[in-house]
Amino acid sequence: MIESIHFTNFKALRDSKVELGRFTLLVGPNGSGKSTAMQALVAAREPDNFPHERIVTAGVTAPQRTSVRIAWGPPDHDRESETSWGSEGAQVKVHRGSEPWKNGKSFLQDKARRLTIYSLQAQRIAAAVPLKKDMQLAEDGYGLPGVLDRLRDQHPERFEALNEELARWIPEFDYVLFEVPATGQRAIALRTRVGGHSIAAADLSQGTLFALAILTLAYLPDPAPMICLEEPDHGMHPRLLRDVRDAIYRLAYPENFGEKRDPVQVIATTHSPYMLDLFRDHPEEIVIAQKTEDNVVFERLSDRADLDEILHDTHLGDAWYSGILGGVPAER
Amino acid sequence: MKVAYVSEWRPDEAVARILVEAILGEPTEPIAPPIRTRGWPSVRNLLPAVLKHVYYGTDADALVVLVDSNRSPVYTDKDREGLETKEECRLVQLQKALAETQAQLPQLPTRARIKTAVGLAVPAIEAWLLCGVDRNVSEGAWVRALREGRVPYTKNELKVRVYGSDRAGEVLKTERSIAEARRLAQDIALLESKFPIGFGALAGDVRAW
Repeated sequence: MIESIHFTNFKALRDSKVELGRFTLLVGPNGSGKSTAMQALVAAREPDNFPHERIVTAGVTAPQRTSVRIAWGPPDHDRESETSWGSEGAQVKVHRGSEPWKNGKSFLQDKARRLTIYSLQAQRIAAAVPLKKDMQLAEDGYGLPGVLDRLRDQHPERFEALNEELARWIPEFDYVLFEVPATGQRAIALRTRVGGHSIAAADLSQGTLFALAILTLAYLPDPAPMICLEEPDHGMHPRLLRDVRDAIYRLAYPENFGEKRDPVQVIATTHSPYMLDLFRDHPEEIVIAQKTEDNVVFERLSDRADLDEILHDTHLGDAWYSGILGGVPAER
Repeated sequence: MKVAYVSEWRPDEAVARILVEAILGEPTEPIAPPIRTRGWPSVRNLLPAVLKHVYYGTDADALVVLVDSNRSPVYTDKDREGLETKEECRLVQLQKALAETQAQLPQLPTRARIKTAVGLAVPAIEAWLLCGVDRNVSEGAWVRALREGRVPYTKNELKVRVYGSDRAGEVLKTERSIAEARRLAQDIALLESKFPIGFGALAGDVRAW
């Protein structure tokens, strides 16, 4: 698990540190570095795919370097990795305690290997896919029919549980159906509760497709150890957001849902006051990104001494929207 | 009897329904679609509109409102007599909002006045669900502690005691809430004795229907 990330000269993050828990919800105005923070994790894993000129903070010039320093938590408590970029290229250093660690690069690559930043696209979720062994859900949701097909075949009890949960989230449907649009291909459809009609994925609403993709992630037996979700509330009716939160908690706190697998570290972003409201009882999970003149400051909501006073009789989402918690767009 | 249940969220409605039915001694039929809120501030702000909707837009006979007190002041009847302002008590705020709105509603020949009942779970519905299970949890213990500047237990601690986690999902919460509420329904007098202000008000309102 990642405990904290320190960014230096990485796009909008000139000198910023964010602390992470099993679940972290990042809120803040557009361009406040929420997505950049997640992208930096991928850059740290595969620095050669991120040329320095593409990621360096505007106006920063040599010899200043760009770096992403990650402090790892349990079970890798004493490890810290630093991926840095400069005029001589990119390099990765990992320390174990205070000692440099030779195998550090492979440690970082292994730890971040399956990190996925999901930014779901309805059309991609709905697309038919060629069947492949061990199909994974892509960043945009592509591959869902293959992932669900595998779940049904290899973990039928999970597939049934997912269907049960789907029927609770979206009561007009009660089951995921599979179609074969061409040899070796799979597409999905949902069965209507009334009448048992099959509705092709392409004809489902965006919100339904997003819900199905998030639900699928939550019910996988082997989800990636770290997942980033860009606006998981996108396209969802506000009443569904509690279910989205439960799906995220199922990933991050599997023991609370009777799951035996390891926890997934989840980072999500949102602009929804409704979504934010749902985490009022856990302010330690909320990080507010504050844009300053030339930097971004990440502040954990639970670190505010006046939080109880402020929230006494107010929705957390309303308090954030008002600006009194910070993390709102600047105005001229 | 058709009843509109309004609470801070879905599992609380299930608890309210079971307890109201136990007090009434008969089943109720919730209105559809159900009214949902986003927690205390929206219950308070929406209540006049909700009562008007129930009166004009549904065939419900009654409206039941149940909220958590959290750390807001909770007054006993005795305390209320000596206080000039009672506005901070959520129970009083809701009762007042309902009374004011009722007074504004015209008496239609086709529509009976909506019966109302308000409950205040001190500090949260999970405290009620622990009644008879955890003797340290009661309205009296909470109110006394707050007066002494202490917090005897947090909402999250109560959740852990009831659901096994303070991040339990809605399915588990609903299941556990219903199971505990059914247990409480067998001994309403115990719940009323341990939570005389918040549950006592609800029970009194329902008995007066």
